[in-house]
Amino acid sequence: MVIGRRWFWLIPLGLLPVPLLLNPYQQYVLNTALLYVPVGIGFNLVVGNLGLLAFSNVAYFGLGAYTSGIMMATLGAPWWLTIVPAAIVGGLAGSLASIPALRGVRLFYLAIMTLAFGELMRWTYIRWESLTGGSMGMAVPTAHLFGWALDSDARKFFVFLALVVVIVIGTDKLLRSRFGRAFQAIKDNEVAAAAMGIPTDRYIVLAFAWGGAVVGIGGAMFAISVGHLSPASFDMTELILQFAIIMVGGLGSLMGSIIGAVIITIAPQVFISFPGFAELVFGLLIILVILFLPRGLASLVARVHPMFVERYYRG
Amino acid sequence: MMLLSLLPQLVVSGISTGMLYALIALSMTVVYRATTVVNFGHGDMVAAGAYASFVFGVGFGLPFLVAMALALAVLFLGGFAVQRFLMQPIIAAPHLSLAMMALAVGYTLRGGMRLEWGNETINLPRPYPQDVYMLGDVVITTDDLVICGFVILLLAALFVLLQVTPLGKVIQATFQSQRGAALVGINVPAFHAAMWGGGAALGAIGGIMLAMITPLTPDLGQWTLVQGFAAMTLGGFGSLGGAVAGGILLGVTEKLLGFYVNTMFIEITGYLVPIIVLLLRPQGLFGRRTIVRV
Amino acid sequence: MAEPPLLELRDVTVRFGGLVAVNAVSFRVERGEICALIGPNGAGKTSLFNAVSGNVVADEGSIRLNGQEISRLTPHEISALGARRTFQNGGLFPDLTALENVLVGLHTQVASGFFGLLFGGRSVVAERAATARARTLLALMDIAAIADRKVSALSGGQQRMVEIVRALATDPPLLLLDEPAVGLSPPARALLAGVIRRLARELGVGILLIEHAIELVMSVADRVIVLNEGRKVADAPPDAVRADRAVLEAYLGHG
Repeated sequence: MVIGRRWFWLIPLGLLPVPLLLNPYQQYVLNTALLYVPVGIGFNLVVGNLGLLAFSNVAYFGLGAYTSGIMMATLGAPWWLTIVPAAIVGGLAGSLASIPALRGVRLFYLAIMTLAFGELMRWTYIRWESLTGGSMGMAVPTAHLFGWALDSDARKFFVFLALVVVIVIGTDKLLRSRFGRAFQAIKDNEVAAAAMGIPTDRYIVLAFAWGGAVVGIGGAMFAISVGHLSPASFDMTELILQFAIIMVGGLGSLMGSIIGAVIITIAPQVFISFPGFAELVFGLLIILVILFLPRGLASLVARVHPMFVERYYRG
Repeated sequence: MMLLSLLPQLVVSGISTGMLYALIALSMTVVYRATTVVNFGHGDMVAAGAYASFVFGVGFGLPFLVAMALALAVLFLGGFAVQRFLMQPIIAAPHLSLAMMALAVGYTLRGGMRLEWGNETINLPRPYPQDVYMLGDVVITTDDLVICGFVILLLAALFVLLQVTPLGKVIQATFQSQRGAALVGINVPAFHAAMWGGGAALGAIGGIMLAMITPLTPDLGQWTLVQGFAAMTLGGFGSLGGAVAGGILLGVTEKLLGFYVNTMFIEITGYLVPIIVLLLRPQGLFGRRTIVRV
Repeated sequence: MAEPPLLELRDVTVRFGGLVAVNAVSFRVERGEICALIGPNGAGKTSLFNAVSGNVVADEGSIRLNGQEISRLTPHEISALGARRTFQNGGLFPDLTALENVLVGLHTQVASGFFGLLFGGRSVVAERAATARARTLLALMDIAAIADRKVSALSGGQQRMVEIVRALATDPPLLLLDEPAVGLSPPARALLAGVIRRLARELGVGILLIEHAIELVMSVADRVIVLNEGRKVADAPPDAVRADRAVLEAYLGHG
């Protein structure tokens, strides 16, 4: 982000003392906002930057979460060891989902296929009871970080913060390089992108894989934040929530993914949750955003000062 | 293959379910043909049709056919309004926005339905007595007869509408060429809205029948959407006849795979069909490859 | 052994189903030479163009770039070998700025790798160097002022300039211009003609262009290649083609 390197660090540094001010529930909500940042980032990379209608994000989220949870429960692995496998599984799933795109499937067809893929994964969580605990779900053991027990939300917060900072910086580097430009080019005009020497197939797989990996890490964070995994957490209601994050925040915007994650997680806390209320509100929010602010809140922020305009180059 | 004797039974009940899929796929295709937008919220409109019929029939105690007619009217108006006020203004937006708008509308509907009826399951009462008939070794229920009969009648009526009536000619013309239709004086935006309304109403019929034979929950729309997509994919996206053929094919395939291979196929055939078919033939079973013009 | 021509087509044939769009066409383009491809609509110019750039596969014949056979390569491979093209209907990337568009043109030369970006420093240096080069290129064409504007907000003439800068960014030996003058005002066309001449004379770029604007063609082309119904019917300097009245009247409608 063009919010100069030094300025950016103010945000995580400023957040460090926050756990002192929050009660455990508020801390849990903040943790949830944090873990949804990589989920939004990964989703946004494929849908916003690359511009492909891949609706399979919840699949990576669930796979990352279950990979982490299962490794901890059945193999006794410490949580920090499960992060990389969660990322790998997410990345592999993303690469898998990119196959139809490589074969030229686009637009609504791609959306339908990836949607079906996501639902197929959820069906797998339900059916593979021996591994996942089926519909009843499974409990996730307490996380440890090199022996330090992450048994409070405050402790998880610091770890989550560190992970999110790394992911944001890494994605920023990716976007502000020839890779980020290539993604946008493919989105705007695939034929012209190829004419510039961009091997579009390779870059499509890269975007899907990175996106899936990052969302998978978010899933691993989700696993220990919530402590219990069930297939119901990864249904289409979850999908609309993730859509709301990137649409309200701003498609294709790294800053937007962060803003969206924070707003979509924290705002619902303001009102009491009845069954169906979340869907109703997120649905309405997306409708309003599409009608009146199609480029999301990030576009509003960009108007405030040129330094908030996101660029795809360095120097 | 063992138990070939059960084949006729499976085919018959597969056709019966397939007829429902056909109706739903047809309603989605009507919308798609008119505006080339896939309505990702269509499944929820189908469910809404069933709930509307429930409200009028059980809530207000109106006779079945009246309740159904009212539900269809409500869904027609709803579909019309969604296209006119939410889709039309963004018609030039990128495909993602169109898909998201439709999806969001569906979710808003679903949220509303869930708020009102929670997670209780509802069964729409059948307006006909339940009975069972035997044709040789094959069991045929009144549900099968009513569904198949009704859908066939509906398809016949639609066929007559399209091929014989002046309105049908207008519809066919506009499906084929919007610019041509506009030149001839047809109000294309109104046509779009009317087709969404019509598609919603058709889908509502499917929803009502569905709610008679399976429990009605707010999540019915999710399943319906997937099955509708699978049927459309099988028959070739955008083809009205293909939607019907695809629906029936899907119903039969589910039953056959579910019995002869593994029961899990009853649940996941709908998910697997779009994935496998589009991977092998990205243009669908009967579609044509589009050439990208440089 | 003499150096092979920059671009050589031999008996190139392109068919679409039953239709023969390009029928056994042969010609050459040398370095520093400007060749114009003209002919009535449907003559096969675009199909031929697309065959050279790889967007369409030639059914028969050979296409060589600097002696290397390219007729079976993909567009991005051909582009990496040194043939760059522009597009008729805006090949620019509307969501990117002029600078970013030019940077995409430099894509194959920016030495930043995936892991290098994440962990190293050399990739970042390469990225900065690329940005500097892109700015220099824009300045050379006097459009440095629009560097940070989204190209969708630029005028037609400005967009055309950006597209040409982008195509030139990697110093390609061969430039394929697809109707570069379409939609441009007469002053802009004159500017364009000047740019094309400079590219060929000063930088030695070989240029193949499709164009309907005859005045532009006659003023910049070293050679004019006339196609009709898929066949080559003339391949001569502008004066000779102009003198071939029969060619002009039959295929262009008016002299």
